[in-house]
Amino acid sequence: MLLEIDNVTLLYGRIQALHGISLTVNEGEIVALIGANGAGKTTTMRAISGLRPIASGRIRFAGEDITKLRADLRTVRGISQAPEGRGIFPGMSVLENLEMGAYTRRDSAGIRADLDRVYGLFPRLKERAKQVGGTLSGGEQQMLTIGRALMSRPKLLLLDEPSMGLAPMLIQQIFSIITEINQQGTTILLVEQNAQQALSRAHRAYVLETGRIVKSGTGTDLLHDPAVKDAYLGVA
Amino acid sequence: MTTVQTILRWRGPDGGVRGWFGRQPRLVRWTLLAAIAAGAYALPYVGEVPVIGPQIVTEGVDWRTALFNISYFVLLALGLNVVVGFAGLLDLGYVGFFAVGAYTVALLASPNSDFKTNWPWLATVPVAIVITMISGVLLGWPTLRLRGDYLAIVTLGFAEIIRIFAENTTLLRGDRGFSGIPHPPGKHADGTPIFGVRDAGPYYWLGVSLIIVIVLAIRNLDRSRVGRSWLAIREDEDAAAIMGVRTFKYKLWAFAIGACVGGLGGVMFAGQNGFMNSASFQIQFSVLILAGVVMGGSGNIAGAILGGALISYIPDRLRGVEIAGQDAFQYRFLMFGIAIILIMIFRPQGLIPSRRRAMELKDRAKEVAPQ
Repeated sequence: MLLEIDNVTLLYGRIQALHGISLTVNEGEIVALIGANGAGKTTTMRAISGLRPIASGRIRFAGEDITKLRADLRTVRGISQAPEGRGIFPGMSVLENLEMGAYTRRDSAGIRADLDRVYGLFPRLKERAKQVGGTLSGGEQQMLTIGRALMSRPKLLLLDEPSMGLAPMLIQQIFSIITEINQQGTTILLVEQNAQQALSRAHRAYVLETGRIVKSGTGTDLLHDPAVKDAYLGVA
Repeated sequence: MTTVQTILRWRGPDGGVRGWFGRQPRLVRWTLLAAIAAGAYALPYVGEVPVIGPQIVTEGVDWRTALFNISYFVLLALGLNVVVGFAGLLDLGYVGFFAVGAYTVALLASPNSDFKTNWPWLATVPVAIVITMISGVLLGWPTLRLRGDYLAIVTLGFAEIIRIFAENTTLLRGDRGFSGIPHPPGKHADGTPIFGVRDAGPYYWLGVSLIIVIVLAIRNLDRSRVGRSWLAIREDEDAAAIMGVRTFKYKLWAFAIGACVGGLGGVMFAGQNGFMNSASFQIQFSVLILAGVVMGGSGNIAGAILGGALISYIPDRLRGVEIAGQDAFQYRFLMFGIAIILIMIFRPQGLIPSRRRAMELKDRAKEVAPQ
């Protein structure tokens, strides 16, 4: 087991956002976390990356208890996150953004190789290498957050709403690339509102409702689950 | 309106003077910068230049004193620019560090001090640097977990605590203050001391030299991994943490370095004036320096220098000047207010903007009002 979250609760002031969440991610998997707005998907991501302290429960990563570990050290351990929306550095160029992704690394040869790998996955980023991040389109910014997250050569990649605000064509493309990244050997935990895409790409998935996990199973199982269909796939 | 607009947009972030400067070879750039530095050293004599000179010098204030004031304002603007411009931490209580530096000198060197140490000025400098840095860390440690507006309020409170503490403790002597603070060492050939109250020129030259050293140090820092970490924190603190930046540590560094430079300003101020009391550290002072940094171009060293110089020069220049039978000095804050509003409307990134800052501003505007 690469990531194990055990009974995690999280508070925003007096409001409880997570009510005892447990989930696991095995090495090599794509695991999806689906749910409506405000279900606690992004909060779960922030708990894993360490941006938000949890109130109770345990988080284990690669055999180590990281519950109390600082966010920057979790990156060193191999957790990398592509935050939702415009999580790029707007005043840095595309290349500088990608270099920030490799902030914790010192192996310049390896960094260069990974830069080529990211450019291979997203040729668009190579064309725009010198362009300032804030001037990119929504889709390009999305590619940049994913590419930047890969630059730390993570064991676990956290993707927060990679399809948000993208045109259907681009959504297809992003998900194909996510599958490709996974096939290259990176484990992925994916948060999505686009349940259709997420479930058809994921090995396993969890359904989150108001801070609780209400269902779990393989992607295909959930894709054909009547309740899931009804609530998230827009088909009766 | 359009004329104002054209004046304030006399150059874009990439074109104009800056673009031209950036394209020059290294040697040309350094020669130009050296010439500017030489010009700064020669400023005390500018009044002797025919025609232009008398327009520049201050009428109501001794010109060399005005220049010295500019030098420590620039120093403060440079220090605050590290905190606000580089790391993006809104500090409204910067005067607190200026006060800590000045009080360190006074306590160690003034004959009024209960410590009765009577140190020479020079010996107090390293102590003042260390103590202001420590004060920066002490303030930062509990407060840098806060962000944005919350941090601003806490720093505001810090400056007021220092001032009220100074007003009400016997050790810091309130508004009775400290007098007889010694000057830096050095004697002319005829045995008269170089630094004194009568001629502020040597203090100004000392100030310019300090500014040059600090500019070089800050510039190197900005281009290092530290600078990159500050940049990342400023643009998106959460994203920076995810990249592996130890955000708290770098924010603390920005605070400590900013505090240290502000403290140096206080050390200069205490020495040149020879006297200081709690009234020297009003909260308006912090706001003024911040206005200078923002006006000049937050995040840009040249911008901070220009802004710091302007906020000190303009009021001094207005002193003793009559406009339509009214003393212009009385209206200095009104003029400041208007100038700041105009700049914020037409050139929100400042007179000499940081290219990245301009982009960040645009990006944030998108967040506030999506098209």
